Amino acid sequence: MESLNSEDDQARFARVVLPHLADAYALARWLTGDRADAEDVVQEACLRAFRGIGGFAGVNARAWLLTIVRHAAYTWLGKNRSASLVVVDDLEAVEQQQASGAAAFGSDQQTPEAALIAKADARRLEAAIAELPVTFRETLVLRDVQGLDYREIAEVTKVPIGTVMSRLARARRRLMQRIAMDETKGGT
Amino acid sequence: MRPSTTDPRLLVHAYVDGELDPANALEVERQIAADPALAAERERIEALRRAIAERLPREAAPAGLARRIEVALGLRSAAARAASRPSWRALAASVAVAAFLGSGATWLALSPGPTDADMAVANHVRALMAPQPVDVGSSDQHTVKPWFNGRIPEAPRVVDLASEGFPLVGGRVDVIGHTPVPTLVYRRRQHLISLSEIPAGRAMPAGQIAGYNIVSWSDGGVAYLAVSDVASADLNAFAKAFRAATPEP
Repeated sequence: MESLNSEDDQARFARVVLPHLADAYALARWLTGDRADAEDVVQEACLRAFRGIGGFAGVNARAWLLTIVRHAAYTWLGKNRSASLVVVDDLEAVEQQQASGAAAFGSDQQTPEAALIAKADARRLEAAIAELPVTFRETLVLRDVQGLDYREIAEVTKVPIGTVMSRLARARRRLMQRIAMDETKGGT
Repeated sequence: MRPSTTDPRLLVHAYVDGELDPANALEVERQIAADPALAAERERIEALRRAIAERLPREAAPAGLARRIEVALGLRSAAARAASRPSWRALAASVAVAAFLGSGATWLALSPGPTDADMAVANHVRALMAPQPVDVGSSDQHTVKPWFNGRIPEAPRVVDLASEGFPLVGGRVDVIGHTPVPTLVYRRRQHLISLSEIPAGRAMPAGQIAGYNIVSWSDGGVAYLAVSDVASADLNAFAKAFRAATPEP
């Protein structure tokens, strides 16, 4: 069946998709939280990418692939972890009610000093990111781990740039508060 | 970016991320200077970004994932593809061979008449897929620069940008047009930046090819061409740092 794809599609796939495999895997791992699941998601995404390679406009291969990976990851989450997606729906509803980004700062809970944040260790940082609701997590990972700009993140996550900015602010705010909490609990 | 919000606590994120246009960036800078709470928020954001960039473990795709995907899709493997084309390492090993093959540009697999930028992107992509993106791997400019001696007519200018967040990874010889050129490789977090020096070349407008950002400038009769999948703001920062570190002739 795949043999219907021409040699050109194979070459195109190798040129467009394969160089971004590490990014694809990283996003899938942050979304599913599991290495083996991430591999399944990336494989499924690559299958979709290969079938759709003819429709790739040739502008931004990485954003295009990450969009497909995200979609595949959400499909996977819907099948295997529908609970985590219910939380997403709730969050979206809350987000729509709060048109202004000011809501992100509603209760000025404890916010740690920059020096404290700078000392946060890798394991706790990773755990804190993993605990973020999935919409915040994906926005933060795409920006601060994978280095996409706001326009690309808006494209991948299919929301306006203003929403990217407010999600990013909230994600970072939650991480900061989490780091402060860990600290007051006295570590471990 | 021209933001739709005016909440400075949101805008300070866009400011730290380099997403604001100059007028809005200046406005946020003015507000930060006037408001200690906002200045503290900016420091927190920068500290968080730094901690994530420097401390969060990066994980490469599992070994064999690409191969498993190729098998699942019924593709010829990268090894088989490489066998049907001259291998990159063989090209790099011999400037004469590289120049000879480059004259036909047959190995680039691009449409006729590729631009310098097309070829720089092709070189970069090929390097990403090779076992090593460099032929000399070192973060020491005094190791990288002499390696080019005898391989190309003039060794490139090599500068250390680790303190700017762009550690040196190494160098390789690329072919652009019919000419072997020195290419330095720098790293930005887990992403690589290929910087080719094109003697007597011309700078070209910044742009994007196949999802890779390109920034180019010329300095002292030499054109520089930087290719990477980092965000364009990061690539611009890299170009700025490189130019600042390069003494004017």
